[in-house]
Amino acid sequence: MNLPAAPTRRSLLPFAFLAPALAVEVAIICYPVLQTVWMSLHDFVLFRPNSVPFIAFGNFARAFMDPVFWLSLWNSVLWIVFIVLFQFLLGLGTALLLNRSFWWRGLARALVVIPWALPSVIIGLMWTWMYDYNLGVINDLLLRLHLIGAPIAWLARPDTTLPSIMLALVWQGFPFFAVTILAGLQTVSQEQLEAAEIDGANAFQRLRSVVLPAIAEVLATALLLRTIWVANSLDVILVMTGGGPGYASHTLPLYAFLKAYSSMEIGYGAALSLILTALLLFVVYAYVRRAARAEAAA
Amino acid sequence: MERRTFLKLTGATAVAGALARPVAAQQQTTVRWWYHFDNPQASPNDLIAKFEAANPGIKVQAESIPWGGGNDYYTRLFAAIVAGSGPDCAMVKLNNQARLLELQALAPLDDMVSGWADKGDIADSIWTLNKASDGHQYYLPLQYVVIYLYYRTDMFAAAGLKPPTTFEEFRAAAKALTKDGVFGFGMRGGAGGYDNWGPFVLGGGADFKKGGMISDAALKANRFYVGFNTQDKIISPSAPTDGFQQIIANFKAGRSAMAIHHVGSSNDIAAVLGDKVSAVPVPHGPDGKGWTLYGDESNAVFAAAADKAAAFKWVSFLSTGANNAAFNALTGQLSVTGSGAKLDTIHQPRFVAASTASLPVAGVLPDSSKTADFTGTVWPTEMQQALLGQITPDAMMQAIETLYNG
Repeated sequence: MNLPAAPTRRSLLPFAFLAPALAVEVAIICYPVLQTVWMSLHDFVLFRPNSVPFIAFGNFARAFMDPVFWLSLWNSVLWIVFIVLFQFLLGLGTALLLNRSFWWRGLARALVVIPWALPSVIIGLMWTWMYDYNLGVINDLLLRLHLIGAPIAWLARPDTTLPSIMLALVWQGFPFFAVTILAGLQTVSQEQLEAAEIDGANAFQRLRSVVLPAIAEVLATALLLRTIWVANSLDVILVMTGGGPGYASHTLPLYAFLKAYSSMEIGYGAALSLILTALLLFVVYAYVRRAARAEAAA
Repeated sequence: MERRTFLKLTGATAVAGALARPVAAQQQTTVRWWYHFDNPQASPNDLIAKFEAANPGIKVQAESIPWGGGNDYYTRLFAAIVAGSGPDCAMVKLNNQARLLELQALAPLDDMVSGWADKGDIADSIWTLNKASDGHQYYLPLQYVVIYLYYRTDMFAAAGLKPPTTFEEFRAAAKALTKDGVFGFGMRGGAGGYDNWGPFVLGGGADFKKGGMISDAALKANRFYVGFNTQDKIISPSAPTDGFQQIIANFKAGRSAMAIHHVGSSNDIAAVLGDKVSAVPVPHGPDGKGWTLYGDESNAVFAAAADKAAAFKWVSFLSTGANNAAFNALTGQLSVTGSGAKLDTIHQPRFVAASTASLPVAGVLPDSSKTADFTGTVWPTEMQQALLGQITPDAMMQAIETLYNG
């Protein structure tokens, strides 16, 4: 009868190499997450640190009964869908243009990264003044083009505030898609493209049937990552409107931030952020599955 | 010198030096002080140097913390205190005193104040205003402003109008001056705008006691104020989210005829408008009563401070006569000291006069842990929704009533 071989020191070596990274991971990710979970289960108000009663899922129940939570969640859905969609479309178009040959292509590729490189606070301040009712260039341009008859208070109307901020985010984030897709376009087979052209496919048909399938993996990864980042973003909204007017530009991460840091209701803010995390886990799961499948295929 | 003598002297010097350094270090205290200035280029370094020269054993480590409308500053302060890394003393306002007390973060200053030689240079009314609900003195007054009404003297003269003294006069003047791209009133509906709302609503009969926000007088006053947008159209469409920068910029550019703020902005405005701007107390109701915001600012010493006496020495230095005047030259606000006020050369007399004339009706928001919520989230969101017609003015007042009184 054959006995199982005893574990050797060599099989423990990978764990030893991974241990420092795992320790950092536990310290800066796992511990704060566990702490957030703990806070969400307590009525933790920052200026009452000596009275933190355990309330189990009381904060979560409060969220589900909170109309501002549902409004923020709905705004977050709109926020994610439209920002990622338009960032993708604009980024794809830009990548296709930058993939062509023209004499200042190098400069164009460098310039297109600028929105991505600017700090979010600068972007928020810049777009706030662009949207300004009296001094903003957007109103000035639209008035000169006779597209509007009077200035619009873009950031003071509930129907225009969120779309206005979303436009700023689309401008900020499309370079990520442009650069990522451009890199993917370099791997598209020229022979396939030429063959498709010879077979009579027009530009759109070549894009749909040759280019996009070839870069599908790149697109999927970029879309998944961008969805997670956009879902969590709150810095530009915070600078531009602070969530107003009223609750018009409240998204879930912003609401969690305001509850935690403005109202100092850390427990409730933690619960709101965990709800968002749970919703995003579906996206994370899809990303991890995709990555594992790609690794297995390789 | 003999070798043995030289060695003895060298050894003695080394021992003496080693002993002397620790002794000098024990006498040195560092006081960490957090502050915020509207003008980021202003620096308290000269005052610190003067203080340190007079107090060789105390070193002041001043840290400028971004104000961010108030939320940023207080978020950092509370988080630092809870984390155990808070400053020894800091600039604070009354609307956060209740929360700091609940946190047990403040050191009572009663004994130190009673032994302070310059205590009498600050008016009794200011001491009373800054006293906490438990009767103790935790705040040392530092500066103040009083909210008043700016108006364009040229626009009023051209329209044959006098500066308004009542609510109705205010509305009539604003209506008359709203034309040709100019709005009669540059309302601040964004963060901090409760100081625009307060004169009309708290001055119109509302108060924070139980039922005080939903009384007939309170509801009527708030409907009057919200009506500036929904009915009278005397404010800019951007008003619901206009903050300090926007209302002052619009007033300086001639896009509004009246704006409500305080002496801290007077030099900046007067530099642009010169004699075309002046100020008067905010209007009052038909019964002659009124209300305006007393914009306080104090220093507090924290309970966790290692050397409270040293921290008090620094903050009391800042609230003493000439030092207080020098400090307020940096902040643009008014000195809390009688002697410091006489040394004020940076403010134009007409704006100081408007501030002083407003003092009899100046008040503060309630000393309650709810007040920070009121100013930071409840008032802005409810006011903006009411101005935009998303909720009724009465619903706004009900929300404030619920916040304070359940």
